[in-house]
This record gives sequence, structure tokens and C-alpha cells, in this order.
Amino acid sequence: MVGVADMKVSNQQGEVLVTHALGSCIGVAIYDPAAKVGGILHFMLPDSTLDPLKAQEQPHMFADTGLPLLFRECYRLGAQKSRLRVKVAGGSQVLGNREFFQIGRRNYAALRKIFLKNNVLIDNEDVGGTKARTLFLEIATGNVWIKVMGQNTIEL
Amino acid sequence: MSLVPQVLKSLKTLPPFPLVAQRALLLLNKSEVSIQELVDIVKFDPAITANVLRISNSAFFGLRREIHSLHQALLLLGTQELLKVIIASGATRLFCRATPGYFLDRLGLWRHSVSVALMADLLARELDHPERATAFTAGLLHDIGKVVLSLYVDQKFTEIMEVVDGRGLSFQAAEKEVLGIDHAQLGGEMARLWDFPDRLRLVIKLHHLDKPEAFADDMVLLVYLADLLVLMFGQDLGTDGLAYDGYPEVLRLFHLRERDLEKILLNFGSAWQEAQVFFGLIGGDDGLQCAHRG
Repeated sequence: MVGVADMKVSNQQGEVLVTHALGSCIGVAIYDPAAKVGGILHFMLPDSTLDPLKAQEQPHMFADTGLPLLFRECYRLGAQKSRLRVKVAGGSQVLGNREFFQIGRRNYAALRKIFLKNNVLIDNEDVGGTKARTLFLEIATGNVWIKVMGQNTIEL
Repeated sequence: MSLVPQVLKSLKTLPPFPLVAQRALLLLNKSEVSIQELVDIVKFDPAITANVLRISNSAFFGLRREIHSLHQALLLLGTQELLKVIIASGATRLFCRATPGYFLDRLGLWRHSVSVALMADLLARELDHPERATAFTAGLLHDIGKVVLSLYVDQKFTEIMEVVDGRGLSFQAAEKEVLGIDHAQLGGEMARLWDFPDRLRLVIKLHHLDKPEAFADDMVLLVYLADLLVLMFGQDLGTDGLAYDGYPEVLRLFHLRERDLEKILLNFGSAWQEAQVFFGLIGGDDGLQCAHRG
């Protein structure tokens, strides 16, 4: 179970990591099929300059402080950057105006920017819209699913 | 075919709103509160008393000494805080029922309601709004219509989702279109039957801002914004996801910018952690609350 502003990495073959009910938050699942190592980060906000003190206490809260930790922890368990598969879910928004209530969109933009700077490609994603999503990562296989609340499960 | 007559008919079997909580509602934001009188009523309700003590002693208030009696809780927490706790303890009886039309988890609606209560309270503090206890209560009860409408939403879920996905309407607007009535309107009816204070009834009825008069009362706007922020926070999201209409004018009215919303979400994370005791009031080990229904 990965909570809000939380992260888990694992190389335990029996484990399935899950993060529930992503709203504007974004869940990032990365996995190295050779090392069978993976992790999920559930971040809430794009940018740690909002509150640097809080970012020190809870680095998983923000895209810019959380993402490096996710990758670093997976490397520590033997993952290699070139082999990583990266999947992204969340970043939903309420309906209407394109200028306000845009935390979901800004979360996604922050993620893209960080990935671009670090040469990380997203293999697959399910972002935006108004859906509530739950994200699963199976450590033994690297399979990633998304459950949309009230609808079917899809593989990502 | 309209389901309205059928929906309204089901209100006839509505259990009463717990009397103690009802009395507490009338005392919100009164400067001279005959709280001792209320404490005298509460103490004859063992389930509510137990919950009040449980919340008072939790991390939510972070008091350094243990509270053993209602009287002590009153002295240490103050009247408005105690009213919040009494109302939340009493309201658990409403939220015992599963609401499968909206939430897959049996306690989904309760958890969402508590979250909006906490968020409304936090927003009231951020905005220097004097009526924090009212904000908390209105947040807690804003979705009571879902308790009854869930059954009908469940039956017509596919049709409602077709309207949401096909035409980009909010879930609430789609309810109205498919069922002939939505949970806000129905909640307003329930508030009338239960003799809620007018202001609270209006917040419940107008919390989706789908009528112009909604913009006349800042408490309606505050609860609307709290609801929206809780959806962004995620967790306990329902089958309706984030299919809500965003009204940016609310931000302008409160002089809030996007970055302020981010700060509020940041603070909410900690408040939400500290408030876990509220979530546990229903469906704990003893299931005490649900045994005392009606």
C-alpha cells in the first residue's frame, strides 16, 4: 500500500504494490524486468518551492523531490536506468475552465519536464480526465494495471 | 420515466436524525451557548459519549492530558469544538448504510464526508472565516442526499455514466437528467424533514452551485470549494470521480490563487492523518454505532 505523498520500492517476488484513488495526484510505476525491481511513487503537488521545509520532511509529496528518490531507491536494489519501464496514472481534473483547478495538469507537466531533463521516456500512461484511478504494480512480472472506480480494470 | 415520486416516497422510511446531534446543530456559532444543558443530554447517550471521549483523546486535538468526562472535554476543548465532536459522533448513525451507487467501499461516503468537514474547517481557518464549526458541520452533512439516492444511482449507473462521458456533464447534472432529481436537491429535502437550520439546509441543497442563489452565501461556496479540494486530494474518491463543475469565480470571491490551493492541500495532508479517529467511528472492531440505528 502506497499512501498519499508516499513511495514503496520492492524486489520481493510475491508483492503487488498498490496506490489507491488518485485524484489530481499522480502515481508513477517504474520496473526493471531484468532485476525484477520496481516501485511506485504517489505525489500530490508539482513543485517543492511551495514549502521547502515540508519537502524535507515529506519529499514524496512533490514531483521534483519525489521522482529522484523513486529512481534512486530502485537503482539501490539493482535496477538500471536503461532497462526501466515507466508508467504513469492520475492527474485528473474537475470539469470546466482551463485556467483554474489545474493541479492535475500541473502535476503532469512537472513530471514531463523532469523526465525530459533526465532522458526518461514514458512507456504508457493513463492521465487526465475526471476519473479516479487505482494503480497496481506486480513485482514478479512488472505488470501494471489501473482500476477506474466503478469501471473495469485495464492493463497499462 | 421519472423516478422522483419513488425517490421521495423512500424518504418516508427515513430514520430520524439523532436528537442529540440535532440539538447541537442549533447551538452552532451561538455566542452564549447553554452547553452544559447539551452535555446533560449527551451523557445519557452512551455511544455518543464514548465517541466524544475517543475523539477528544486522539491525535486530532493533541491534548496532553487524558479526558475522562464530557465536562472535562467541554473545559479543555471549548464549546464549538465540542459541538463538532458531538455532531460527528451522532451523524455516524446516518452513514452506517453502504452507498454502492457512489462508493465501492462501505464506508466511502462517511470517509468522504469527514474529509470535506476537515477541509471546510481548514479553509475557514485559512480564510479567517469566523464560523469554523458551522463549516465543519456543513461539510460533514453536505452529501446526506447520497445516503438515499445511492440505491437509484446504482440501478441507473450505466445510463448516468453515459451522460457524463458522452456529453461531459457533471455527475450531479447527469443524476438530475436520468433520475429527475439529484443528491443535492434530495439532501435539501431530508434537511427540511429533519428541521436542520436553514443555512445548513441551503448548503446541502446548493453545494454544487448549479443555481444562482448559491453565490449569495459564502458558506455554500466554502463547502463547494472544500468538496472540490478533497476530490483533488484523491483517496476515498467515489464512482463519480472528479466529474464536478469547476467555478473559478469562487476563487476570485475568496481571493485565492492556484498556489494557495496547493498550500491548502499540503496542510490538509497532515490534518487528514491526525483525524483518522473520525474515520474509525463507524465499522470499528465493535461496530457499536451501527447497532444503535434509528
